[in-house]
Amino acid sequence: MRDCKLIRESLSGWLDGQLGTSDAEIIRLHLESCASCDGERRQLEKLQSSLKSLLVSNVPRIAFEPFWAGVRERITKKRSWHEEIMEWARSTFAAPGLAWTVPAVIVVLLGVFALDSFWKLGSQRNNFAAVESIDAHGRNVALLREDETKTTVIWLYQNQEGEDESSGENTETSPSF
Amino acid sequence: MESSDWELVQKCQAGEIGAFQELVSRYHQKIYVVIVGLLRNREDALEVAQETFFRAYRKIKSFQGGSSFYTWLYRIAVNMAIDSQRRQKRNPLEFRETMDGLFEEQNEVARDPFSDVHDRELREKLVASINDLTPEHKAVIILRTVEGLSYKDIGEILGCSEGTVMSRLHYARKKLQEKLGAFL
Amino acid sequence: MSLLGRILKRALLFSCLICLAGAYSVNAAENNSQTVRVKIGTILANNQSDEIDPKLNTMKNQLKVMKYRSYRLLKEETQNVAWQGNAVFEIPGGRSLTVTPQEFRNKQLALKVRLQHGDKPVVDTTVRMNNGGNFLLGGPPHEGGALVLSISATVQ
Repeated sequence: MRDCKLIRESLSGWLDGQLGTSDAEIIRLHLESCASCDGERRQLEKLQSSLKSLLVSNVPRIAFEPFWAGVRERITKKRSWHEEIMEWARSTFAAPGLAWTVPAVIVVLLGVFALDSFWKLGSQRNNFAAVESIDAHGRNVALLREDETKTTVIWLYQNQEGEDESSGENTETSPSF
Repeated sequence: MESSDWELVQKCQAGEIGAFQELVSRYHQKIYVVIVGLLRNREDALEVAQETFFRAYRKIKSFQGGSSFYTWLYRIAVNMAIDSQRRQKRNPLEFRETMDGLFEEQNEVARDPFSDVHDRELREKLVASINDLTPEHKAVIILRTVEGLSYKDIGEILGCSEGTVMSRLHYARKKLQEKLGAFL
Repeated sequence: MSLLGRILKRALLFSCLICLAGAYSVNAAENNSQTVRVKIGTILANNQSDEIDPKLNTMKNQLKVMKYRSYRLLKEETQNVAWQGNAVFEIPGGRSLTVTPQEFRNKQLALKVRLQHGDKPVVDTTVRMNNGGNFLLGGPPHEGGALVLSISATVQ
């Protein structure tokens, strides 16, 4: 039974004369002794003959001169610029596989941009923060921006005149920026 | 002595449109028959066949002779037919459409091999079954049945291996057998 | 459809899917998030040594603008707070920091921040920043140096 399965899978090639000599001989011998596979062969032959009748015999002959006139008209016809571009694009992206290459490239590029944004966020490379309003209640305040990470720093200076919030603490002077 | 395809191609590449005309005369019927088999519509097939030769003319300078001219031409034809098929919105029309002036022997009454009822039903079922195949499976059936091309040539035309051609043919024929069932 | 048409169709489809996914994620974040995670790092900056706390390695570049020689992480605290809600953090030296997330728009968070010493306000500020980003609020004196508060917020 296993043999019959393999034989039937090769029947197409055998009928078309596309198998090597030794394989063809194996199949011929099997068909002589196996009625079931031989039946399959007869069905395939009938299918082939029906197909040939349908596809070949019923197709009319076309006259050459009018056909050539149609081809020549296309050759001599001046094409618009966008037709030329479409033709160029069609020939450039000829391989069917490229049909998926272009969208895949777009997806990869989008992914890279997204990752790049994510990376920047994660590493705080563009750590944007804008101070919309600030009320230091009479204190001096400095707004600074760190260059590399663009980090915003709000620095509060000690209150010189009013209440001394640092009383009791050993303080150092403000940092140098 | 008749020029070979390659000699004619070289003349085309040098700008001789007469050489291209000769190539068209050699292959226009073959290309048309293959495309009719794929599209099942004569009007569309004629259009696509003419477009095939036009495309071949535009690309003739890129043909290096690595494959035979006819496999190169068939490749263009099959790709254009498959593209056209995907664009097609209408169903396949009946087989007997004609176009004035383009079909020879219109008045000759050819013997219809599907003349009796049983064979007519078989033909209708065959047409429907072929149309149910994918374009790639239809192409292998057409190229093998119509042109009797070798698996190697079919593989070159379709851009696949001989093994793939054999397995596609096996699959396509199996599908047709299943659909045709008792008719065969 | 021609091969080029198929390419363009697939490219458009992919791009639309990506854009939709992106827009959805942004929209989801902007419209449907319920809470904001607020993280406060309390850092002591001084010149008493040349050491930078290893836990602050990721913030080295941010801190260097203040030109102290030493930075030490005193504590880190995280709270989840609803929009317009108050997250209150205890800050050394009898201080407290109140963070109130205001809104999330165009991928940016607006936070209202109040630092007070006891019940006296020291500074009130509203800052708009990237989601997940941070800013520094420094200056209050502490233990011979100054406190630097790293305030970060992420929409949940």
